[in-house]
Amino acid sequence: MTAATNAHDRSRNVIVVLAVLATALTTIVAGLQTDASIRANQANRDSQLHAIRLMGTLQRTGLSSAYELAGLARITSDQIEALALELAGLRLQEQGNDAGAARAMLRAQAAQARARAQQDASILYQDPRYGPATPDGAPDLETYIADLTSQTEILLQEQNTAADDFQRWNRKADAYVGVLTLFATALFLLGLAQALVSRLRLFFAFAGTFAAGAAVLWAALILILPGTG
Amino acid sequence: MPKTETRLSHFEIVIALSIAVVSITTAVVAGRASAVGSAAGDAARRGLIDTIRQQAAMSEDWRLVYQEAAFAQEHAAAQAALEVMAASDDPSEQAQADEVAQNLLPSLAQLSPFVTEPRYRRDDGSLDLELRFQDLEAETPNLAALSPEGSFREADRRLSEQRWLTLGSVLLVISLFWVTLAEIARGRARVGAFAIGSIVYALSLASLVAVELIYTLTPLGGVE
Repeated sequence: MTAATNAHDRSRNVIVVLAVLATALTTIVAGLQTDASIRANQANRDSQLHAIRLMGTLQRTGLSSAYELAGLARITSDQIEALALELAGLRLQEQGNDAGAARAMLRAQAAQARARAQQDASILYQDPRYGPATPDGAPDLETYIADLTSQTEILLQEQNTAADDFQRWNRKADAYVGVLTLFATALFLLGLAQALVSRLRLFFAFAGTFAAGAAVLWAALILILPGTG
Repeated sequence: MPKTETRLSHFEIVIALSIAVVSITTAVVAGRASAVGSAAGDAARRGLIDTIRQQAAMSEDWRLVYQEAAFAQEHAAAQAALEVMAASDDPSEQAQADEVAQNLLPSLAQLSPFVTEPRYRRDDGSLDLELRFQDLEAETPNLAALSPEGSFREADRRLSEQRWLTLGSVLLVISLFWVTLAEIARGRARVGAFAIGSIVYALSLASLVAVELIYTLTPLGGVE
């Protein structure tokens, strides 16, 4: 009778040790889950921050390109108008209409002056990176657009990286919650085992230990493998 | 024999009290970690709101800069055409130039500081958009004073603290494990388990106090 009681106490003690060990492991996994959540939150915040900055940059590049392209359109229009008026002036001169020719030439000069004056306020003519290679040439629009979009592309890249980080850490944090659920099941089974006797106790103790072991293995996989979730 | 039993029961009471103390400490630390995490979330949210407000203000300032630059461009074009017409011998063109000079140019000039303030013109005659933008930003000191980066640093600092507190709570639970083990063990094993539990508890408590001191009193808290 005494031997049976001792064996009963021993097995109960073993189950208590297992339960307490499972509790400690649960806390460690809870710590890992907290860490993964913190990293996910940080990445999420960075992703939002980059998105806000990207939005601001897009708006600014939109304003800039609208201003520059509208200016370029006006400059080109004035240049074409000047050329057309010069041709008209020459034709009027050939026809003997000197007064009309002089007026057309004057208006051509005015249009040309307008075009030149507007060039001073345009980065497409003032910046050596985009300015025309020849006095009558056109600005390098391709380089201008490429430079303009490169800023947004860098920000977009950073935003995507942060969003990917968020997804990765969030998956890990979610997976740790699954592990914690498994640990909770293990603790429930070990708790039941404590209350039961003989074979049932053994069964629940094994089931609880198995669940705890599976949870440890799962947690280790999440911790080791990148992008596990 | 009764003497030994009394000593053992006293020890058991000490162990039971220790389990209670470690449990309460763990709960307090978990609560503190949660509060710190919440403060980190608040700081991050504040940083994001400030960033949105800053970006909105910057976008509006840039919109104004480009609007003023467009007026300046228009003014420059009108003035250049006017000079050509004013230099002509045709009286009707001169009259038109006079009208433009008296009415259109002053109106356009009023719309753009790029025309009225020479400091917004570079030496080569181009417009200094950046300088105008900086001046507009300076005109709204309350928005310029917003510091999203400061809020994000604060959030990172809090998250770092939360991480250390979580680590401390893990140590506390390990301590709880050993103290609970002492409860069911007998003889030397009980004393040994209790000693380990107590040492781990003392270490975790010391580390938690150090974490609180570092993050509360010194600027080192921002270092992870």
